[in-house]
Amino acid sequence: MALGVAATGAGIRPGWFARSPRLGALTQRLRRLGVLEQVAIGALVAVTLLLLAVPLIAPHGASDVVADPLRAPSWRFPLGVDEQGRDVLSRVLLGMRTSWFACFAVIGSGIAIGGAVGVVAGLSRPLVDNSLMRLTDVFLALPGPLLVLAVVAALGPSLLHTLVAVGVVWWPFYARIVRGEVKAIAARPHVESARMSGARGWSLARRHVAPGALGPVLVTASLDISALLLTLAGLSFLGLGSPAPAPELGAMAARGFTYIFTAWWVPVFPAAGVFVLGFVGNLAGDAIRDMVEG
Amino acid sequence: MGRLILNRLGALVVVLFALTVAVFVIQAVLPADPVRASVGANATKEVVEAAREELGYNDPLVVQYAHFLGRLAQGDLGTSLRTRHPVTEDIAHFAPATIELTLSAALLAAVLGTVLGVWSALGGRGSGVARTVILAFASAPTFLVAIFMVLVFYRRLGWLPASGRVDRIPLDEGPTGLLTVDGLLHGNLDQLSSALRHLAIPSICLALGPAVAIGRVLRGSLLDVMGQDHVRTARAKGLRERAVIVRHGLRNALGPALSMAGLQVGLLLTGVVVIELVMAWPGLGLYTTQSIQNVDFPAVTGIVLVMGTAYVVVNTVVDVLQLLADPRVRATTTASA
Repeated sequence: MALGVAATGAGIRPGWFARSPRLGALTQRLRRLGVLEQVAIGALVAVTLLLLAVPLIAPHGASDVVADPLRAPSWRFPLGVDEQGRDVLSRVLLGMRTSWFACFAVIGSGIAIGGAVGVVAGLSRPLVDNSLMRLTDVFLALPGPLLVLAVVAALGPSLLHTLVAVGVVWWPFYARIVRGEVKAIAARPHVESARMSGARGWSLARRHVAPGALGPVLVTASLDISALLLTLAGLSFLGLGSPAPAPELGAMAARGFTYIFTAWWVPVFPAAGVFVLGFVGNLAGDAIRDMVEG
Repeated sequence: MGRLILNRLGALVVVLFALTVAVFVIQAVLPADPVRASVGANATKEVVEAAREELGYNDPLVVQYAHFLGRLAQGDLGTSLRTRHPVTEDIAHFAPATIELTLSAALLAAVLGTVLGVWSALGGRGSGVARTVILAFASAPTFLVAIFMVLVFYRRLGWLPASGRVDRIPLDEGPTGLLTVDGLLHGNLDQLSSALRHLAIPSICLALGPAVAIGRVLRGSLLDVMGQDHVRTARAKGLRERAVIVRHGLRNALGPALSMAGLQVGLLLTGVVVIELVMAWPGLGLYTTQSIQNVDFPAVTGIVLVMGTAYVVVNTVVDVLQLLADPRVRATTTASA
């Protein structure tokens, strides 16, 4: 233990992730990745930036009537025109933007709730730890998406209700992972020395323990993107997202399904939008896993 | 061993209890007034108040929950506001169609997942491309796959029907309610083939996601096992590669894939709701969607309870199977308990 204090006391610069040497190490690992992986991570960043800029680059507004209904794809309307005469390209882009950032919001809340539960459980006495983990197990064992269905049916359909409901069931995985990491880190000498120098509770957790759990959380989060996108799109397809005119991919595909034999572009392109995002998410998820673990 | 299984069964009871609490809590925060829904919008204040008292909505929540559990124990899930039938009856009526669809999808997912896992673990050349293709399949929403299959196999080729469970032919509906099994039992081969053809598109759409998930996990654990000493020994004693894979590799690698399969049942149960809507499959999923659209809350809670119970029970069965099959799981569970 004395060795631990000597080894860590001087060198430790408390602070989040950004100030630690981790970021440098990550860039180095990024350079060592294969081309496919680098492209995947690049695509993740590019899609995020592109979707941020969608209101600027979308040719039309979400509810603008721009042409006669159900016109086939053409140079003027690359993805065609829907049943109400709206530009499918603009609506798909706006829908992708909603899906993408909704997904990030749920993952963020999952990390926040799960991370808090995990850190508290990992640093607490066995009694608290056990009861928190049993609670997590119960949540893990419950069929999350089905409960979301019930919650949204009860509260009435809206994107916010769906996101809150999904957020409520999406944290247990993170709690398990963070708790495991925290347990492992808490046994290390630098935490012991921090405890001895008087760090307690929040500051101990924030400065000395939580940063170490960031890697595995990042990996889980990136592998989660596509699963979550598909779940949210499915719920929206069932009519559990925003009400009618809002450009949501799942809902657009569902309403357009009537036209599958007469105007295939109406249901196909919104569904393809989900696919593109899910694919980017999956590729980048694998790449980020390789980067953090490799 | 027996104690471990009892342990799992105890956990099952706790989780089922939690499921009823969750559903009850959701019911309790419901903003729509169930009393008004039952007596009608034109009822006077006194009538509403009397009904509220009579239906027990003025009791404390704990008492209400006890009543709720009591009704559940009798198999009473309330009355559907839309169909005006008891929800239990409705569910019993629509369940066979969904059971038939999910079972065939689960079977397909297991077979496809195993093939995918083994092939991607062993295929040396081109496995990078294969991995990307598999990833692409994992990224496609169920309804996109369904749209494509309907366009190709129904519209273009005319090989498969795109809606419903069976053609308009004389049916022998038998003991199980599963059209394929009943057709087989009664020797009605027209019914069997028609039911199978109708099953094709929806069950393939449903199976793809879980198959990919199972395949990915199986690939990982298979690669792990194939690098171990006992596999080298099996090879060294001259077993054919196929025997090595099946007897010594696959058997030991199945554990993680099995638990993944259990978790995928959850995905299957939500996927089935989407697919039944797309394919006009007259099962629980379609009933769910219609109930949601009509704010038929008793029906929705009933389905969530039934499907949730199915999910929890299946996962417990998977756990117990793993305990029976793999001595290593037994060892770690004893150590951590």
